[in-house]
Amino acid sequence: MDERIVKLVCDTLVAAGSTFRPDQKEAYRRAMKNESGEIARWCLATTLENAEVAEKNRGPLCDDTGIPHLFLELGPNRALTGELMESIQEGVRQGLRTLPGRPMAIKGSDTQRLDQSGGLDEDSGALAPAPLLVKNVEEDVMRLYVLMTGGGPAIRGITHRVFHKHNAKVVADEIIARAKEGVAMLGCSPCTLAVGIGRSQYEATALMLEAMAKGNFNEQTEMEQYITDEVNKTGVGPLGLGGDTSVLATFMKVGPQRASGVRVVALRPCCCFEPRCASVEL
Amino acid sequence: MKVITTPITDADVQGLKVGDMIYISGYIYTGRDAVLPKIEKDMDAGRLPEMGIDLQGGVIFHTAVSPAGTGPTSSNKLEIEASIAPLSRGGIKLHLGKGKLKAETVAALQEYNAFYAVIPPVTALLESKVSSREVMAYPEEGMEAFHRLYVHEFPCVVAAVHGRSIYD
Repeated sequence: MDERIVKLVCDTLVAAGSTFRPDQKEAYRRAMKNESGEIARWCLATTLENAEVAEKNRGPLCDDTGIPHLFLELGPNRALTGELMESIQEGVRQGLRTLPGRPMAIKGSDTQRLDQSGGLDEDSGALAPAPLLVKNVEEDVMRLYVLMTGGGPAIRGITHRVFHKHNAKVVADEIIARAKEGVAMLGCSPCTLAVGIGRSQYEATALMLEAMAKGNFNEQTEMEQYITDEVNKTGVGPLGLGGDTSVLATFMKVGPQRASGVRVVALRPCCCFEPRCASVEL
Repeated sequence: MKVITTPITDADVQGLKVGDMIYISGYIYTGRDAVLPKIEKDMDAGRLPEMGIDLQGGVIFHTAVSPAGTGPTSSNKLEIEASIAPLSRGGIKLHLGKGKLKAETVAALQEYNAFYAVIPPVTALLESKVSSREVMAYPEEGMEAFHRLYVHEFPCVVAAVHGRSIYD
């Protein structure tokens, strides 16, 4: 076990679960300026105040502390070994105990884990992370992103095909239609829409995770801004109580595509605290 | 912002309207999918007094209680929303959570002069406002057990009262 790696990963998980990034804070401040409704402005201000308290205390932003998802960028001269994987996993365990994460690992057999009859593990660190996503990059670096993904957006997220009719706007408009429904039902708006578009459900979801890891609230492509603006026309607003800010931004990653009439779109309406993400160079 | 202290009276509810921003202080209960149907059964069987639970004028906060803190889960989850009418009949005045409720649930709240409020999922802030927590029933459910908290000025917005909903 590499104790240096364990400590770095532990600290990064705690940062992911407790800290708004600077561009995220800026997005909230912009939204507060633009909101016309008193309740909407109050919701945004309270969410931002919560982030400041969480950062100061290095404690959870939300009691649904989320499932750890890991995304690793690997440069040409870096190696991922079994020992390094073990150290990363131990860092996650220690990070969950430190944050602390909500102890929500379900015990038991396949059936018991499905119907939750096996009970909960009291150890926050027992929560297994999702499978590690690795991507090779040109930069000579080994950079780990830790994302903490909550349950609400998982309920409202959808991964499904779109028949694009050889028109990118058809894909965007379908994303908008799905997002409008998910954002309205989420309850924890304003959302950040994470989108991955690939050739299979697996690839689309991996791209969506990358979009969550690398998206920036201050950098929006024309299509991302179009999606954000259209969903904001619903007036769902913060916490679903009405207002101009249903969505703060859209983070979209378009991968390689198939010679076919179909695209697979993964969409996650990330909640008001997400993407809860921090990164570290290992 | 107006402060409402538990136990909540009929007069307190009469003075509210949709969109009011209020603070809640005093003892409140917590519960979500796993325990609210059990509370309903124990209420119907008349077992709550012997369990030390008094629903009159009470609050149910739809949350788990864990070392990570508290924060609202969606009140429109099947078992949670289904508990709102019967627990209002049993004396609960405020259901505290998030998300849109069905029209029939809003009507049931009106029938029992109860209300629904949305609380922001601001766990870090809420932690500073909770001064005690205890398990009242079903400890086997862990973080989903039926808890009682003592809270000081939980911030919320009245989302359904007197047959009206903020989502309409």
